Order: sequence, then structure tokens, then C-alpha cells
Amino acid sequence: MTKIFDTDRGRSLVAIQDVSLDVIEGEFLCLLGASGCGKSTMLSLFAGFLQPSSGHVMLRGQPITRIEPRCGMVFQSYALFPWKTVRGNVEFGPKMQGVGRSVRRATAQRFIDMVKLTGFENHYPAELSGGMQQRVTLARILAANPEVLLMDEPFAALDAMTRQIMQGELLRIHDASGKTTVFITHSIDEALILSDRIVVMSARPGRIKTILPNPLPSPRHVSVQLSPEYAALKAQVWQMVESDLLAHDETFRPNH
Amino acid sequence: MSEAVLVAAVSPAKARNWRFRHVLLALNVAAVAAVSLLWWASTRFGWVAPIFLPAPGDVLHAARLTLANGDLLTDIAVSARRVFLGFVLAAVVAVPLGIVMGVWRPAKAIVDPFVSLLRPLPSITWIPLTILWLGIGEAQKVAIVFMGSWIYILLYTVESTRRVDPLLLRAARNLGATDFAIMREVILPGALPGIITGLKVTLAISWSCVLTAEMIAAQSGLGALIWQAKDWGNLPLVLVGMLCISLTVLVADWLMRLIERALLPWERNRSN
Ligand SMILES: Nc1ncnc2c1ncn2[C@@H]1O[C@H](COP(=O)(O)OP(=O)(O)O)[C@@H](O)[C@H]1O
Ligand SMILES: [Mg+2]
Repeated sequence: MTKIFDTDRGRSLVAIQDVSLDVIEGEFLCLLGASGCGKSTMLSLFAGFLQPSSGHVMLRGQPITRIEPRCGMVFQSYALFPWKTVRGNVEFGPKMQGVGRSVRRATAQRFIDMVKLTGFENHYPAELSGGMQQRVTLARILAANPEVLLMDEPFAALDAMTRQIMQGELLRIHDASGKTTVFITHSIDEALILSDRIVVMSARPGRIKTILPNPLPSPRHVSVQLSPEYAALKAQVWQMVESDLLAHDETFRPNH
Repeated sequence: MSEAVLVAAVSPAKARNWRFRHVLLALNVAAVAAVSLLWWASTRFGWVAPIFLPAPGDVLHAARLTLANGDLLTDIAVSARRVFLGFVLAAVVAVPLGIVMGVWRPAKAIVDPFVSLLRPLPSITWIPLTILWLGIGEAQKVAIVFMGSWIYILLYTVESTRRVDPLLLRAARNLGATDFAIMREVILPGALPGIITGLKVTLAISWSCVLTAEMIAAQSGLGALIWQAKDWGNLPLVLVGMLCISLTVLVADWLMRLIERALLPWERNRSN
């Protein structure tokens, strides 16, 4: 598929060109690439927020033509409801599904505890730090329990320690639920620790450069980072990303 | 031994803040006292003739008289009632209409031309027509308040409804929300702060509407009080009326802010 944006001055921008990708049921897939290479655009296409300019996105053989609740999105910019408390935000998905009050409250509590926000249930998003808000979005999507998890740099705002804990939790959830997960990151380490396959993307226009299976044994633990195997893999991925970075006058920047 | 480069200590900064706030309060009081003193002196020493500016003592005396016979409180109550009725009526019409216009473009297209035509008209221009239609009773005063208020409430409501973050609409849909749920859970609470701001701004406008209407044709109300006092040459009473208007609008504004705090708990202590 291809996605072309019409920009303000009547020009068009090719965000993604001729991308073809099969996401396998139950796998953990990482989209890795520099800022601006179309990772977020790709995820928005998966969620049905955008429609491709050509080609199509299929979920279990059916084309996605509108916003798809079966593909739950963790937004890069949180998108929390400011007028709802942490609990209200996390309960939103179950509430929309018609789950009764006491059940959804229990569900919400479980995920709030899981993202280590116990005690902040009645806080409003504006009262939380960026990292805490990011964890609320994670809890919110997990409570909604979609078939596919789409995550746009969900750990970008977290400090290194919290990030490691959250990565562990996410792997645990993935192993337990077998949910297909598409995860955006610009961290090679994160991609190597989390994913079954890594999709390396290149910019201008956004394309898939390679798809690397991740041979590291799973279930994984952060300690794999110490193995020589890991170092070799990291060097290999880095080489691929580096050539792209040098070819384009783009620096690694979080966000966008 | 190395020295501390950065020191965080609570008490001095806090104390300074506390002292500063008291200095500001003292300045408030001092400014009012100075102007009052100037007023008193200018009448006491004949710098200004009493027919242009009455002495503070005369104003206090007039206030005591009209308070004692109950006229003042009656006039305040009469004006407040007219404002309340006209304002609530305007809100009841304009808020739902504005929300519909905000989410459904055809409705906006239908109403917009009339808004453009009516908006430039000050409420005072409605006085001839409303008197013709409704006489000079209560209904006419309420109508003037209504005509002067509803468009502002409408404009604020349309704007705040349209400004609801589209990302939140996406997020809600992604979490499985239906159209109805989007309306109730996202658009209404998202637009509410802007709507309430609009109501606050409009309430002051509603007050000026009622005063104009009362000055032109009314037997009661604060506007009538001022106008009649002028006709009798009772300048101290004019000033009493003006002060009362200021105080009443301040109280109304304060009530609005209480309501706002109650309705928007998430805006109370925003950190960013
Ligand atoms: N709505 C849009 N309109 C126009 N251009 C867009 C839009 N969204 C993204 N783009 C452009 O598409 C390219 C890819 O963006 P994005 O998918 O956000 O990249 P990434 O998430 O990999 O950083 C960027 O050059 C960006 O400027
Ligand atoms: Mg992005």
C-alpha cells in the first residue's frame, strides 16, 4: 500500500510507498526507524484512522474501512480524556463494551496496579507526569482488551528503570494472551528485547528496508543484552539504520 | 570539601511568597483608601461642585435611606430576576443549538446567516420592537436580556464544540464508542469549559442589557432607580445605584465561578 498526504501548499508528501507486510497472528512485531519514516502513519492505517491512497489493509481477510476497535491503539501523544480520572480513563473501554460497573472497576484496578499507578486512581491526567500518563494509556488499552495491540512509542516518555519494568510486563502479557502486537520504537535495544520480528524502515519515502527475525531465545530477559549474540545482532541492525541516517539529513529525534 | 551548587530549601521561598501576597493585599486597600480620600477632600474643600460630584457622606446617607425603606433591595431583586430569566432562557436555547451546529455542519449553515445579521445589533436596538410586541412589562425586559445574550452563548458553544480535540474522538472510537457515547463522553465534557467561559462572559453582558432596558422604560429595577434619581436631581442616589450594579455583577460572577469549579473538577489544579 501507499499513503500520500496532501500538504498545505498543494504539494503532496509520500509518507509510505509500496509497503507490503503480513503481520502474523500472535507475533510481536517491531517497526524500527528514524523519525519521519512513516511509522506512525503505518499504525494509523492499521487502526483505520487513515485510509491508504492505494492498496488496502486487511484484518483477518476483511478490509479495514473505518476506525477499528479490534485494533487498540496506544497513542504517541497519550490522548487521555482530561475530564476523566485515571480510573475513568482505564474504565472507558469496558464501559463502551457494556461491562457492568463493578466488573469494569475491578478490571481497571488490575491494570492500574499493573502499570504501577496504584493510589493515583482518582487523579486527573493533568496532575500526572508524562511517564505516568503514558502508563495510563497502556492500562486503558489493555483494559479494553482488543484483538490486536498497536503501540506508538509507548515507552518513550519513561525513565530507563520504569521502561524496563513495563517492557517486562508487556512481554508477560503478550506471552499470556498471545495477542498480536505491533510496536513502534526507534530504540534498537527495545526492538531486540521485545520483538519476534523487526521491520526496519527507511525514510523519504517510507519503505520497508528489511524484515529481520529475532533469533534471541524467548521468553527473554533484559540480561540477554549481555550476550555476545545480542551485540552482534545489534551491530547488524545498527548498520542497516545507519546507512539510512547518513543518506538522509535526518537525526534521531524522539516524537514525530 | 566541595560546596553545594544547588540548594533546595522550602521555608524562605514560601515565607517570601506569603509576605508578597500580603503586600499586594495592602496595596489593594491603600489604593481604594487613597481614591476615597481624594474624593472626600475634593468635595470637602470645594474643588468640585456638589452638583457634579456628591460627597461620600451624602452617598452613604442616600444608601442608608433607600436601604431602610426597602427600595434598594427590591430594585436589586427585580433586576436580578429579569437577568436570571433572560439569561437562563438564552442558555437553554443557545447551548443545545450551538452543540448541534458544532457537530453538524448543515445546521451551522442554516443558522449562520441569521447570526451574522443579528450579531451587530446592540440589545438596545430591540427596544422599540419588543415594546410593540410585549409592552413595557416584565416580558419585555426578559426579552431584551435574551436578545442581547443568546448569540454570545451560541458563538462560544459552537466554537468550543468544534475545538474538541479530534485525537480524543479517535481514541474514543478506537475504544469502541458509538456516536451517542462520543457525544456524551467526549464532545460534551470537552466543550464544557469553553461553554462555561462563554456563560461567564455573557452574564455581564446580560446585566448591561437589563440596565439599558430599565433606563428607557421601567418603573423598577436598578436601571430605573438611576434614571429616576437623575430626574429628581438626586445625584447621591445615582451613585448608590451604580455601586450596587458593580457589587451585584461581582457577586453574580463569583457565583458563576463556584458553579464552574463544581462542574469542572479536572480544571482545578492544572499543572501544565
Ligand atoms: N496528517 C499529515 N499530513 C501531512 N503530512 C503528514 C501527516 N502525518 C504525517 N505526515 C508526514 O509523513 C511523514 C511520516 O510521518 P510519521 O508517520 O509520523 O513518521 P514517524 O512516526 O515514523 O516519525 C512525515 O514526513 C510527516 O511529516
Ligand atoms: Mg511517530
